[in-house]
Amino acid sequence: MESKTALPRILVVDDEPAIQRFLRTVLSPEEFSVHLAGDGHSALAATAAVKPDIVLLDLGLPDMDGVEVIRRIREWSSVPIIVLSVREREDDKVAALDAGADDYLTKPFGVAELMARIRASLRRSLQEAPEPVYRIEELEVDLGLRRVTVAGQEVQLTPTEYDLLRLLVVHGGKVLTHGQILKQIWGAAYLEQPHVLRVNISNLRRKIEKDPSRPRYIITELGVGYRLRLA
Amino acid sequence: MKGMRGISVYLASIGLVIAASLTCQAIRPFINPTDMVMVYLLAVVLAAITLGLRPAVLAAFLGVLAFDFFFVPPRFSFSIADTQYLITFIGLFIVGVVIGSLVAKVRERSEALQERETETLSLYHLTRDLVVAADMPAVFLAARRNLEESLKAKVAIWVRSGDGLALVAVSENLCLEDEEERIAHWSFQSRRGAGNGTESFSSSGFTFLPLSALANTLGVLALRRGYAGPPSSRLRRLLEVFAGQIAMAIERVHLVEQAEQAQILQAREGLERALLNSISHDLRTPLVSISGALGSLLEQGETLGEDARRILLVTAWEEAGRLNRFVGNLLDMTRLEAGAIKLNKEANDVQDLVGCALAAIEPRMGARTIDVRIPDGLPLILMDMALMTQVLVNVLDNALKYSSPDGSITLSARDDGSMLTMEIADQGPGVPEADLQRIFDKFYRIPVPEGTGGTGLGLTICKGIVEAHGGVIRAENRTDGGLRVVIRLPAV
Repeated sequence: MESKTALPRILVVDDEPAIQRFLRTVLSPEEFSVHLAGDGHSALAATAAVKPDIVLLDLGLPDMDGVEVIRRIREWSSVPIIVLSVREREDDKVAALDAGADDYLTKPFGVAELMARIRASLRRSLQEAPEPVYRIEELEVDLGLRRVTVAGQEVQLTPTEYDLLRLLVVHGGKVLTHGQILKQIWGAAYLEQPHVLRVNISNLRRKIEKDPSRPRYIITELGVGYRLRLA
Repeated sequence: MKGMRGISVYLASIGLVIAASLTCQAIRPFINPTDMVMVYLLAVVLAAITLGLRPAVLAAFLGVLAFDFFFVPPRFSFSIADTQYLITFIGLFIVGVVIGSLVAKVRERSEALQERETETLSLYHLTRDLVVAADMPAVFLAARRNLEESLKAKVAIWVRSGDGLALVAVSENLCLEDEEERIAHWSFQSRRGAGNGTESFSSSGFTFLPLSALANTLGVLALRRGYAGPPSSRLRRLLEVFAGQIAMAIERVHLVEQAEQAQILQAREGLERALLNSISHDLRTPLVSISGALGSLLEQGETLGEDARRILLVTAWEEAGRLNRFVGNLLDMTRLEAGAIKLNKEANDVQDLVGCALAAIEPRMGARTIDVRIPDGLPLILMDMALMTQVLVNVLDNALKYSSPDGSITLSARDDGSMLTMEIADQGPGVPEADLQRIFDKFYRIPVPEGTGGTGLGLTICKGIVEAHGGVIRAENRTDGGLRVVIRLPAV
């Protein structure tokens, strides 16, 4: 019993019984304690009652907009929220992320992908301060020393490029929307000028990626934003 | 003299008698008074020819008086010395009236004939123009022009539109007041003529005629002629014929439009049937594999060997992916066709676009590679990244599917100043020249030996998306073998 309570609690919010069953099966009881909610109101209630460590939220709920659910949870809780959404609704994903969701998965998704996202979110939420050194493959970013190296070679970045990379590193593994990045680095006045972000990402990739056409570190989330891949 | 009305013809006839009298005065020294009768007769005949019967009778009567007064002794008096002149008077009068009436009748007949010819001609012109009118605006234009010309009138035409009337044609410089609108509505609803020359609203300057065909009233025709006075009954009849012709033309165009729509509908139904057949086939095929694989795992999972289980699982997994892609394509297609795709255009990096496409296609690449050639310094392009990625994925997917596993695939991009050009070239068999256009058609598939056939939607979607961006996509066979798909997007 004791070990059971120590398991991370996952709240699955989806109105499809088939998906509930599927998620319940793949989120093994040895690893997680799974709670289910079929609509937005019970999701809000369950979030308060269960105090989950992570919420898997389907945006298409019968009683209320999924984005609204995120907003209400965020009023008092910073529990990681992973959105499950069908393809072609980039606007919804951006709205969900901007409302405070941490990540999203496009249905249908693979189990491996789902587990990776869940673990990454849990790790981020448990982590007090970000690791000062980020390493993946040949890329190493030392936030303390403000030093970026690729295969041991130091890379010269402009201050903006470094800020951009640092933002991605700090939120390693998490999708950042265009709007979130623009606001953080350039300020709210630049929200309508996404091209400055494109140009800087392009330049950054040219400096740190081996093949900018096949980026390994900075991943584009189509129509949504960018994500730094975790090791 | 045609067109002279009222008092003027009688004045003209008096003028003719005066002229005859002056002539007689001039030739009096040379001829016998009795012969002067001929001169007066001539005046009567001229009056009959040019002025009509009544002016001719007047001329005959005045001619007798003038002849008596001026030339029969005693001159300048109506008394007569010789009673034999009485015969002359009566003869002159009777002959004048008879000749006059004969000539006038001939004249009237020829006038009527001429009028009828004009009417026939104007009707002919109207009919001719209406027959060639292919659509409503052409019908209205033909009607307006012809009525304006042949009747020298200002014209307005209303047709039924919903529950009311819509003004569809009106002569230049013609100002319609509320009054006219009101009468037009009245005429439309009562299906009767109105305005000038009719019993209703007869004080109006316009004459209104309903445009009736079969059981329906289609609209109202109104016209105002250049001169005042009610239209003659003959003109009224002509107008009715005109109105009938116009109504028939409107009805005809209506029917043609309906027939065309029925035809389009039928063609669409045929297409939808074909589409449904194709879709149900494409949806079923992977489902059959998936349920077959899962079913055998469920029922005989224990007895199957590890390898067999794995093969079944991989099959189900791959087919599920294929099904997902197909449904995605289908949704894209539907949204494109419904015009529901909203481009989320932003300045985007071509390299990023290519990277996204490569990442998306990677799981299907196996051991194959794609040779990417993108120069540095390409400008940002205004595009919807998600949709353009879809375009590249679909084209690359085709290249993978239709070329041999050892053939190379090249993706290149270049900036031509005003356009960004991307090319995807493979070393496959290419496409028959005649089909190069058709590969972008819905459900067109290149016949391939075994099961690699796609949905026949991929390139159609590409075309829709690229064209929505104001770009072009085309395919060409490479001289050294293989297919090259060229995508050009505006670089602004």
